[in-house]
Amino acid sequence: MVDEKIDKTIMIELSNTFKDAVSDVDVPSPNRAVARIDPGKVKDIMQFLLDNGFDHLSCVSGVDYPPDKMEVVYHVTSYSAPLVITLKASIPRDDPNIDSLCGIYWNANWYERETYELYGIKFNDCPYMKVLLLVEEMEGEWPLRKDYAGYPDLT
Amino acid sequence: MTHEATQITSPTKPSEILLHLGPQHPLQPGPFLLDLKIEGETIREAELKIGYIHKGMEKVFEDRTYLQILPLTDRICYLASNSNNDVYCRGVEELLGIEPTDRAMYLRVLTNELCRLQSHLLGIGEYATDVGFLTMFIYMVREREGVVSLLEAITGSRLNHNYARFGGVANDLPPGYKEMALKTLGELKKQIKSHDEMMSSDSIYQRRTKGVGVLTPKEASELGVAGPPLRATGVEYDLRRMEPYLVYDDLDFKVITQNDGDVFSRVKVRLLEILESIYIIEQCLDQMPSGPYKQDVTPYITRPKAGEVYARIEDPRGEMGMYIISDGSDKPYRFRIRGPAFATAQALPPLLLGGYVADVAAIAASMDSCTSEVDR
Repeated sequence: MVDEKIDKTIMIELSNTFKDAVSDVDVPSPNRAVARIDPGKVKDIMQFLLDNGFDHLSCVSGVDYPPDKMEVVYHVTSYSAPLVITLKASIPRDDPNIDSLCGIYWNANWYERETYELYGIKFNDCPYMKVLLLVEEMEGEWPLRKDYAGYPDLT
Repeated sequence: MTHEATQITSPTKPSEILLHLGPQHPLQPGPFLLDLKIEGETIREAELKIGYIHKGMEKVFEDRTYLQILPLTDRICYLASNSNNDVYCRGVEELLGIEPTDRAMYLRVLTNELCRLQSHLLGIGEYATDVGFLTMFIYMVREREGVVSLLEAITGSRLNHNYARFGGVANDLPPGYKEMALKTLGELKKQIKSHDEMMSSDSIYQRRTKGVGVLTPKEASELGVAGPPLRATGVEYDLRRMEPYLVYDDLDFKVITQNDGDVFSRVKVRLLEILESIYIIEQCLDQMPSGPYKQDVTPYITRPKAGEVYARIEDPRGEMGMYIISDGSDKPYRFRIRGPAFATAQALPPLLLGGYVADVAAIAASMDSCTSEVDR
């Protein structure tokens, strides 16, 4: 069932509520919205979205922008509306860390573990931060970073 | 149901044992390791370990041109290859600012629904094997043969179809296709109705599946599942209705739901969705406009403007999303695959807690996971 109340006006509320933490709000199409957020406020912002009907964390991804920046991208949507909100948090590349969302969205866990093992982004307070897809020996390789030179072939 | 248990601990009492299911097991659709801590027959803790066939597709895609990626999207999950092609093409089309032709949109809906048919048929078949109903597997594979032949007649291949193109599709319908399709689908409809009747009237089967592995709507949304497992709890979440893409707006169909959220309901949703998909295909064949099936000019080297897109589709298993970041070159800067089976697999361990070991196979198979897509 589509809930008509959940629509892009949430972006106005979001930028009013978090004046300093939300910037570059853009609504490229009726069902998509994009914003940049302050990595320190990610938990408050997500809690606000969850309270306003955005009950489905679709995806968490990392993006590497060498030499100095990394991004954590969240796709948040709702089980009762078609709007997908893309939130981007920029973090420094030499010490990439951001608060974990596991306490807010239960299913953030695997997405955060995947981002951790592929990019080396640490999610603070994540209850179980361990490699998910890779073998344990590859922890610390961070293979999806742009400067990854390959894993030595030991066979 | 506790949602905290993601890590398994060592047994502390003499009555507890650690049980490994996998990574190789005849019941599994692909390799994964399910660790269970059991006390007697009851599951106390569960942890799923994945990554045995991790292919690093997201990294590979960063080093391929947009056209080269297209056949690789098939390989994310061979049972959903058409919908993966389609969602990828719609993403790139949005970046390029082009639209598929009208006929191509109908052809894509047609192949997507055929793809859903064969995925559900095999899904139910595999599930039936796991609950000890091997006859049903044979029936389902027999039924699926007809559907795969219908796909083969359009796309030229039986598994990895590689059919959608930027702005269109690879080729048009062969002559006499409508009659052929209606004949096969009419037969399939009859068979599915009789299988549904068999499953709904068999008391042994019902005792094995009703009230087992129950998800409530609240739990399902907290666990982040989508697709048939969510619709089996009564939530009408279907992207074809929620965010109509291609021509789903012009087609008449119901979103299938069931209310119990157990193993039986999840399979029932798939069975009824097969009938609904057949209805959609019949409408497509009737309404399909004539005209070109692809754009006049399809560039060999595609260089979308810098930007990003998140395209999603109702895959046979749930919500498939692709997040593509373009930096203006001929290769994507970042390609993220958000698969439905990944989300469903994550929800499996909490679902097993408190259940019996004997029900693990039924519950796991009713979620219809695809290891290839979970690991990517």
